[in-house]
Amino acid sequence: MKVISNGKLLLKITQEYGNAHFTLSFSAIFSFLFLLYSFNFNSQTVRPIVLTLFLIYLLTTLYVWFISKQIKRDLATSREIQKRTRLLGIPLIFTILVGNIFSSSYGFTLITKNKTPEYIFAIYAFLTQILIIGISGLNLFKPYVVDSFLLAISLFIALTIFYGVMLVLVANLVSSTFAPKWMLPIGIVLLFPLLTGNLFSFLLGFGLIKKARNKDASSIEKWQKMWRKILSNSMAVFGLFFIIFMFSLSVISPWTFDYDFATENNYSAILQTPTLEYPLGTDDFGRDLFSRIVFGAQISLIVGFSATVIPSVIGGTLGALSGYYGKKTDNIIMRLLDILYAIPGILLAIAIIAAFGANTVNLIIALSVGSIPTYARTMRATVMQISNYEFVESARALGASDSSIIFKHIVPNSLAPMIVKATLTIGGAVISTSSLSFLGLGVEPHIPEWGNILKIGSTYLETHSYLAIFPGLCIMLLVLSFNFFGDGLRDALDPKTN
Amino acid sequence: MNQKGITHSSKTTSIFDSTFKKLSNRRSYMMLLFILGLPVHIVTFILFLLKKEQYQQPYRKAYENSKQEIVSKGYVEAWKQQFLEQENRKASFFHESLSKEQINKNVDLLVQEKLQKEVEKQVDLLGLEEYTYQNFFIHLLQNKKFLIVSAIPGLLMYSFLLLYSNPFVQFIFERVIQTLFVILGVATLVFTILYISPLDPARNILGVEATPEQIENFNQLYGLDQPYFVQLWHSLSGLFTFDLGTSFAGKEDIMASIANKFPVTLEIAVFSLLMAIIIAIPVGIISAIRPNSFLDYSFMILALIGLSIPAFWQGLIFILTFSLELNWFPATYNPQNWLSLVLPVVVLGTSLTASIARMTRSSMLEVIHEDYIITAKAKGLNERKVVFQHAIRNAMIPIITVIGLLFGGMLGGASVTEKVFNISGIGSYIVDKQFIPDIPAILGGVVYIAITISIVNLIIDITYAFFDPRIRSKMKKEG
Repeated sequence: MKVISNGKLLLKITQEYGNAHFTLSFSAIFSFLFLLYSFNFNSQTVRPIVLTLFLIYLLTTLYVWFISKQIKRDLATSREIQKRTRLLGIPLIFTILVGNIFSSSYGFTLITKNKTPEYIFAIYAFLTQILIIGISGLNLFKPYVVDSFLLAISLFIALTIFYGVMLVLVANLVSSTFAPKWMLPIGIVLLFPLLTGNLFSFLLGFGLIKKARNKDASSIEKWQKMWRKILSNSMAVFGLFFIIFMFSLSVISPWTFDYDFATENNYSAILQTPTLEYPLGTDDFGRDLFSRIVFGAQISLIVGFSATVIPSVIGGTLGALSGYYGKKTDNIIMRLLDILYAIPGILLAIAIIAAFGANTVNLIIALSVGSIPTYARTMRATVMQISNYEFVESARALGASDSSIIFKHIVPNSLAPMIVKATLTIGGAVISTSSLSFLGLGVEPHIPEWGNILKIGSTYLETHSYLAIFPGLCIMLLVLSFNFFGDGLRDALDPKTN
Repeated sequence: MNQKGITHSSKTTSIFDSTFKKLSNRRSYMMLLFILGLPVHIVTFILFLLKKEQYQQPYRKAYENSKQEIVSKGYVEAWKQQFLEQENRKASFFHESLSKEQINKNVDLLVQEKLQKEVEKQVDLLGLEEYTYQNFFIHLLQNKKFLIVSAIPGLLMYSFLLLYSNPFVQFIFERVIQTLFVILGVATLVFTILYISPLDPARNILGVEATPEQIENFNQLYGLDQPYFVQLWHSLSGLFTFDLGTSFAGKEDIMASIANKFPVTLEIAVFSLLMAIIIAIPVGIISAIRPNSFLDYSFMILALIGLSIPAFWQGLIFILTFSLELNWFPATYNPQNWLSLVLPVVVLGTSLTASIARMTRSSMLEVIHEDYIITAKAKGLNERKVVFQHAIRNAMIPIITVIGLLFGGMLGGASVTEKVFNISGIGSYIVDKQFIPDIPAILGGVVYIAITISIVNLIIDITYAFFDPRIRSKMKKEG
């Protein structure tokens, strides 16, 4: 084994040290924001809850700073992080209770040396579940909860304990190439929480099954390598976490949230400022903004995904045909797509919606049509490159038909750029959805969708600005998450950018 | 003087016949040339048929001679043996059981092919060529007198040949044709979308109580009762003669409204673009020179936030802070007050700035690792010189293309910003008109924006070909 003698280099390649700084800066930023918000400038009073949060975050920041110093000292003296320093991560785990996901996940990663992708998945499955319980738990302050609330919450608590146990087991027993045989059934059980939207659990189960079966060493290696690359990018991990959290929240929201709070008018509680009963206040019809935003996530994700999947399938197929056959086919397809490409996406969407009326289905179609050419171009470029490789030639020499060459050999090998492109454009689709709804051209106005909520908020900008601020923040965070994850994915899948 | 004149004319004739030779190898171009110069071609084709007997003779004779020569020298037998062996080996490799007859047939075919090729080669060495119409016409084109006589009836064909004689002119010509095709396609597409709309503008304007006669009258007035192609023709000719008639609601002249609103949008878009370029390119360059530094991380996270922020929300937040709380800028647009332009320009330019900064960074990073940069550094140039004289110029090419494409997206996205700041630009005009739907107004708005974008991209492409030596040399090679 090579010994790295340069202390500075050692600091640089030690993931825990870099992540400590990352956690440090984010905790510091949040404590600063809490400090700003803790004082109400209009009424010249202090908000005690926010001030407490600020103090906790500040303490966390100082604690992480202390840990980073410890790590530095450890590396200088003994070239590796001492067990005592690793144990310092335990108190950090509990910061999840005040919502500090950064320091909590850092605590988990610090404790153990054995950081397999499965361990990271277990951490985030656990954290996602706790946050879901916390967010759903806010409904307890409402006058009543839905019938399925208690059942759902107890299920979530059971799942959380399960993930907690898995966390310990995975940390101790699973290595980068191996998992004990008896973990196979557990892995299968872990696939089911997908029904609650917890994709991390699914990924964990999938990884465990792969390693426990121990059949194909190269595929385990590939899996390990790809995820290690993606997971080493902290921003990408948090992007993925927020996407899955939002997804999970929108899957479980019908079980723990009452749709009536989001849509039924309640004239006794019009334009209330944030309280425990209405965590983000109410709008001009007395509807709970918090429930509306939670249900809005559903629509945004559905439209965002559909408006990405549909054009990537259509555009991908056209691009593949165009790139594979070349010449006349290529010319005809690409010239026709040039026409679509010349009209800006939003304008084309407005024209289509003008013609067919504003509703969710038309919105999805309108957004999809506009983005077909970009996908077709991406696919075409990749397919043209891959068609020249030897394995395609050998498939042809063996007498494979054109369609089997395209769909069995070329397309699977050219999916990576498409996946990256799709991840990076889901964010754009989410923005377009809410922009069009804001203009009154998207989702029907009675459905709680982020753009619709903002449209109401914009009329109360002067008096009740929180109505416009919170939904906008949600849009931004979701889009930002997709962009961060997409960037991370691109760096991991495309060796050229490294 | 005389000498000069002759060389000059022989040069132009060589342009015509060499371009004709080049183009006539491709069937579609040959057809086009034939159609463009139809009057000339009818006369020359009759001449060609008349002289056929006279000129075909020497070529045929030479062909027969060299064929006999090759056969008599016994080459054919040798080839036959060779091919027979080849075919047998092939059959045994693929485990095919072919009858002797079949193999002989294949061998004969191969031998004939080879013989023909060899003979043609021999004849070619003698300087004779087959008497085809193509060759006949090329000979005519080399004749100055023929050119003068046929100049007027063949004007179209000759100008086409002139266009294609220079690869650069050819590129511009093809690019312009392509743009025209796209513009026509866009107009047809948008019209078709609006035509198949299930919504009824007449009902929306006249109200629910309108009698069938009133609706019929309305449809007749605006030509909505006519068949698809008639309406399409009206719309297209309206678009290209700048006369779209009056809008359904309000009866205002559509062209006048668009002409009023377009400059407003364009003004904001151009200022946003300027802002984006001024901020983004230095930011991208700094990030690329110091990759993975604190500055780089902060810039890139800021850029990503800029990409992720919805324009209308950013506009609302800006109005909230800068207009309502701080009172620095007015909340709505007013043409007389330049301060009111600041917020919309910043909002519209944010995502563009972010994209350009990211693009600049990645493009610069790619260039910085090229060999010629290492050479420049090894030469002892200081970093400033390397970056400014060698790296930036090469990194700019993809950045400019991206700017051209994003500019289009920005014009399209302007409608949202315009709505937030209450600007009466073309974007908010389209949005206002879509509720009816006011077909000619929407058509005009969308198509004119698309045309603007296409022309901007056309200009960028052509300027590129003009300035980038790599593209020019590639064109010459292909041409």
